[in-house]
Amino acid sequence: MVECGRHLNIQLHTLSEVIGFNGEAGNFNVTVKKHPRYIRPEKCIACGACAEKCPKKVPDEYNMGLSKRKAAYIKYAQSVPLKYAIDPEACIYLTRGKCRACEKFCPTGAIDFEEKEEIVQMAVGSVILAPGYTPFDPTGWDFYGYGRISDVVTSIQYERLLSAGGPYMGHVVRPSDEKEPRKVAWIQCVGSRNTNRCSNGYCSSVCCMYAIKQMLITAEHAKGQPVEQTVFYMDMRSPGKEFERYYESAKARGIRFLRSRPHTIEPGEGGNGVRMRYVTEAGELKEEEFDLAVLSVGLEPAKGSRQLAETFGIQLDNFGFAQSSNLSPVHSTRPGVFVTGAFQAPKAIPRSVTQASAAAAAAAEALHVVRGTLTREKSYPAERDVSGQAPRIGVFVCSCGINIAGVVDVKSVAEYARALPNVALVENNLFTCSADTQDMIAARVREHNLNRIVIAACTPRTHEPLFQDTLKEAGLNGYLVEMANIRNQNSWVHQREPEKATAKAKDQVRMAVAKAALADPLHKLTIQVVQKALVIGGGISGMTAALGMAEQGYPTVLLEKADRLGGNAWNLTSTAKGEAVRPWLEGLIEKVNQHEHIKVLTSATLKTAVGSVGSFVSEVEVDGQLQSITYGAAILATGARESRPDEYLYGQDPRVMTQLQMATRLMERPAEIAKLGSVAFIQCVGSRNEQRPYCSRICCTHTVKSAIRLKELNPRMNVYVLFRDLRTYGKREELYKKARDLGVLFIRYTLDSKPRVTSNGRGLTIACSDPILQMPLELSVDHLVLAAAVEPNPNHDLVALYKCGFNADGFLTEAHPKLRPVDMSVDGLFLCGMGNYPQPIEESLAQAQATVSRACVVLARKEMQLDAIKSAVTEKCDGCALCLDVCPYRALKLMEENGNGRPRRMIASDPALCKGCGLCAATCPKGGIYVHGFTLEQLKAQVVAALAANG
Amino acid sequence: MIDVRIGQLAQQLGVHRNTITNWIKSGKLKATATVGKRYLVEESEFRRFSQTLRIPERMVAAIVAPDLPAHPIDNAILTQPKSIQSEVRMSDKPIGSVMVVGGGIAGIQASLDLANSGYAVHLVERSAGIGGVMAQLDKTYPTNDCAM
Repeated sequence: MVECGRHLNIQLHTLSEVIGFNGEAGNFNVTVKKHPRYIRPEKCIACGACAEKCPKKVPDEYNMGLSKRKAAYIKYAQSVPLKYAIDPEACIYLTRGKCRACEKFCPTGAIDFEEKEEIVQMAVGSVILAPGYTPFDPTGWDFYGYGRISDVVTSIQYERLLSAGGPYMGHVVRPSDEKEPRKVAWIQCVGSRNTNRCSNGYCSSVCCMYAIKQMLITAEHAKGQPVEQTVFYMDMRSPGKEFERYYESAKARGIRFLRSRPHTIEPGEGGNGVRMRYVTEAGELKEEEFDLAVLSVGLEPAKGSRQLAETFGIQLDNFGFAQSSNLSPVHSTRPGVFVTGAFQAPKAIPRSVTQASAAAAAAAEALHVVRGTLTREKSYPAERDVSGQAPRIGVFVCSCGINIAGVVDVKSVAEYARALPNVALVENNLFTCSADTQDMIAARVREHNLNRIVIAACTPRTHEPLFQDTLKEAGLNGYLVEMANIRNQNSWVHQREPEKATAKAKDQVRMAVAKAALADPLHKLTIQVVQKALVIGGGISGMTAALGMAEQGYPTVLLEKADRLGGNAWNLTSTAKGEAVRPWLEGLIEKVNQHEHIKVLTSATLKTAVGSVGSFVSEVEVDGQLQSITYGAAILATGARESRPDEYLYGQDPRVMTQLQMATRLMERPAEIAKLGSVAFIQCVGSRNEQRPYCSRICCTHTVKSAIRLKELNPRMNVYVLFRDLRTYGKREELYKKARDLGVLFIRYTLDSKPRVTSNGRGLTIACSDPILQMPLELSVDHLVLAAAVEPNPNHDLVALYKCGFNADGFLTEAHPKLRPVDMSVDGLFLCGMGNYPQPIEESLAQAQATVSRACVVLARKEMQLDAIKSAVTEKCDGCALCLDVCPYRALKLMEENGNGRPRRMIASDPALCKGCGLCAATCPKGGIYVHGFTLEQLKAQVVAALAANG
Repeated sequence: MIDVRIGQLAQQLGVHRNTITNWIKSGKLKATATVGKRYLVEESEFRRFSQTLRIPERMVAAIVAPDLPAHPIDNAILTQPKSIQSEVRMSDKPIGSVMVVGGGIAGIQASLDLANSGYAVHLVERSAGIGGVMAQLDKTYPTNDCAM
C-alpha cells in the first residue's frame, strides 16, 4: 500500500469517480470527477489537530459504526495517502455555514474550504475495473434482529472488534454492556445462497473460512479462558489450499459445528445477549442462549458498480457481478476494459490478488509496443565520496505528531543526542517523514557537511527507503542512514511510563549513533537480465502463460513432458459456465504452436538448472538429446491428475468409474448413457481423509454439472449424489440449484458412515443412510461415478533442481499464500495451475496470466538492481562450511581453489540469492563471513553503546 | 398455455420476484394459479402483456418457446466475448498508460504490477484513502497473518 502511494509511476486520485468514457481499445478518453478534500494534501502533515478540534461526530464507517469519527477525518491510522479529509456531508461549516475550527488550529494552513470539484480528462490505453464488494447489510431482516438487538453484529463488525486498531483496541467485548462474551454463535450464509429474502443465489466463497478464522482468533484473544463457540451452517466450504487443515484444527479446538439454520434471534434477558431457537439434525427444537451472535454476511457487488458498468459500457450478470467468460476470466464484454477481484465474482484475497495480476497482464498485452513511453525514472546527483572523512552525524528526532512526543520527551532526547560523539547537528521535527522535512534534511546535509544521518522515528520497514532516497538526493550514499525506532518499539508500547520511555529513547539513539559512525557507503549490485522465459508444463495454464509472455514480446520456451500439448483439458467438455472447451483448446494449441516467439518442446524434461533470478541456464532433454537454454524467469505449470481410487469396487467392477472416465463416455457415447435408468455419484473419494487431508475443490462442481447433463439427456433417469459438504462455491451455486430443480437427489454421508457398495448381476447396490429421514437407504444403480481426488503430478526432481518447495500434499508452494500467490520462494520462479492446487479452468487461467504479469516485472528491465545488504566472505574463511547448513536461501557454496599450489577451500556467496539475513555471520566462529551494513564492528559498537547506560 | 414459475420468470426478465407476483395479483398479467406457486398464462395474453412493457422479442420468444436457451447461464454464453480476442480492433495509436478503478487489494496489486513493468498508472479511488475492505480485516486465513 505504502509502495503504491509512493510509486513514481502511479498517480493516486482519491475521492474521485469516473463519469465519462469513450474511445477504443488502446486509446481511451476517461473523464474523472475529483471531489474536494478541503485539506491541501501537499500541506497536510497528518498531525491530527483538525480531527481533534472538530466538534462534529459521525459514525465511523471504517469501524462499521461501532465507534465515532469526526467530520475532519482520516480513514484509518495507516491510510494511504496519510492525509486528512473533510466530510462535506458532516462538516458543520459546509452544511450550515459556521465553524471553521479546524482552519484556526491547523499548524500548516492546509485547510481550504474554497476547494472546488474538478473535472479532468485522462488518456489511457486500457482500463482495469476493481471496485470490489460491499458486505451484505442484514438491516431489515427482523428475524435476526440486526440493528434492534445490540448483541447481534455482522462479521465485519466482529472483525473490527478483534482488531488491535479497532474500537476496543482488540479487546473482544459485546456492544450491549462491554463485557467479554463467553458464548458466541456464528450464523453462516446471511445474504448468500438465499433467494427468499434477498436475490443472492450465489455462495460468497469466503464466509466459512473467515468464520473459522474469527473463532480461532477469538480463542487466542481469550487467553486460556474458555469461550464456547458455535457455528450454524448449511455446508462447510473450505476448498482452498491448507483450508481443510484449518477447518480440522478448529474442530480439534472444540468449536461446535451445527448443521442447522436458526430461524429467529430474540434478545436475551435484561437486553444483554441473545436467545436462539433452532432445529437439530435429528429434528428436535432447541432453545439456547448466547452472549453474542455474529452474522456471517455475504459479499454483494460494490455499491455503484451498476453505474460503473453503464459508464464503461460493460455487461453485468444477473447478480450484478461483471460478466466474463470462464475461458478469459478478466476480459469484460468490452475490448480494452478488464475486470478483476470481487467485482468479477465473490472471492478471497489470494484469488483477488492473482486475478489482479492477471488483469494487469491482459491490460499490458495490448500496449507492449508503447511500454516505457510514459513512465519516469528518478535521477540523483553524483555521490559525494565520504571515505576517510571523520563522521559528522546529523540526528533528526521525530515527534510523529503526538505519536512519539505524547510519551517520550523528544526535546530532552534531542538535547541528549547533541552531546554524543561525532554528532554535528540535532533537530527535532513534528513529522520527519513529511515532504518539506525531506527537503530540509537535504539542505542541512549540504549546509553542515553531514556524512551520516540518524533518524529517531518509526520503523525502517516502512520508512527507510524514503530516507535513503532523501540522502541520495542530497548527494550521499543511501546506506549512510540509520534509524532508531522510538515509536513502534518505544512510545507505542510504554505509554504508561513516559520517564522510562524517554530514557530508553536515549539508549536507542546512542546505539544508532554508534552504529552510524561506522557505516560505509554500499552500492547496489546490478545483474544483466536475460529477457527470455521458460514455461514448464504444456497444459492450459502453461500454454496461456507462454502465450502471454510471447505476446508481450519475450521469447519463450514451452516444455511438455508428454508428446502433445493440452493436458487434462482434453478430457473436459465444458466450463462451469457452459462454454465448450474442445474448440477453444484446439485454437489455443494452434496459436501456441504458430507463435513466432514460442518454441515448443514436447517429450522434453528439464535436466539441470543453475543461476538465479534474471539469469538461469538449463539443459533440456528432448528425445534423448540435450539442449541448453537461457532464461531470466521460469513459470512452473506442472499440473495435477485424477488419482486412482482404491475403494467402492473401483477396478473390480466395470460399472464403477471415475469422473474423467464418465466425462469421456458422455463425450463419445451419449446415446448409450441416456439409456441408463439410474446413476450415483460418490464425492470425496480419496480427498478430505487422512491420506489426503485437503479438498480437491473441483469435483463438486464437476459432479453437479455431469448430473445436470444426465438429467438433460434422460429426465427420467434417477441421479443420486452422495456427498459430505457440497462445495459449489461462488456463482457455481446456481448449478447446484439447477440440479436440484431437475430432480437430482443429494444424500449426505459422513466419514463414520461411508456408503457401502456391492455388486450383483443386475447392477450395483449402495447402502447408505439419509440424515434427513434418519433412515437407512439402499440404492440400486446401473453406474457409479467416483469423484476421485486430484493429486499433483510428481515434481520432486524439479523441486530439487530449483531448490523451491512443496507442501505435505505435494503441491508447489507460493512465496506468501495471500499477498504473493503466484511467486515462489525462489526469486524468478512463478507457479500456476493445478500444480499449485486443484482448481477449475478459469482460476488456472487467471493464475497463468498472473504469472505473466509477475514475470514481466522481472524481464521488463535489461538490468536488475539488488539490495546491497548481502553477505560477504573474508580472508578468514577456512571453508569449514558451517554456514552452508544454516543458510535458508541456499546462497552459499563451498568452492575449492588452488592458492599457492595448495588446494584451498572457501565459501562463495551468490548475491542474487542472498537476502542478507545474517544467519551465516552469526554461525561463523571466526569472522569469515559478514553482512554489509551489519558488520561485526557495527554490532559491537551498538552493544557497547547499549551497555554504557547513563554514559 | 405457458407454465410460469415466479422465480424463473423473474430471472428471465431481470426483475424481482415480487414484481411478478404483483403483476399477477393486480391483474396486469392474467394468470391462473396451479400447484406449487406455478401459474398458467395464455400465450396471447403474455404477448399482449410483453408489448405493454416493451419486453424485447428475443426474451419473449425464449419464455414462450422454452426449447431455446432459457437459463441465464446459457444466455450468457451467447453474449460472451471470444476467449482469444484476435479480432478485436485496436487503436493504431495506443497509449502507454492504464487506468485502474478501485483502490482495494486487487486495484493496488494491478497498479503495482503495471507500474513495475513500464506503464504509467492512474489509480482512481472513490474514498479518501486506498486499502479497501482488506484494511478493515484483522487477520487473514489460513495463516493468521495480519491483514495490514
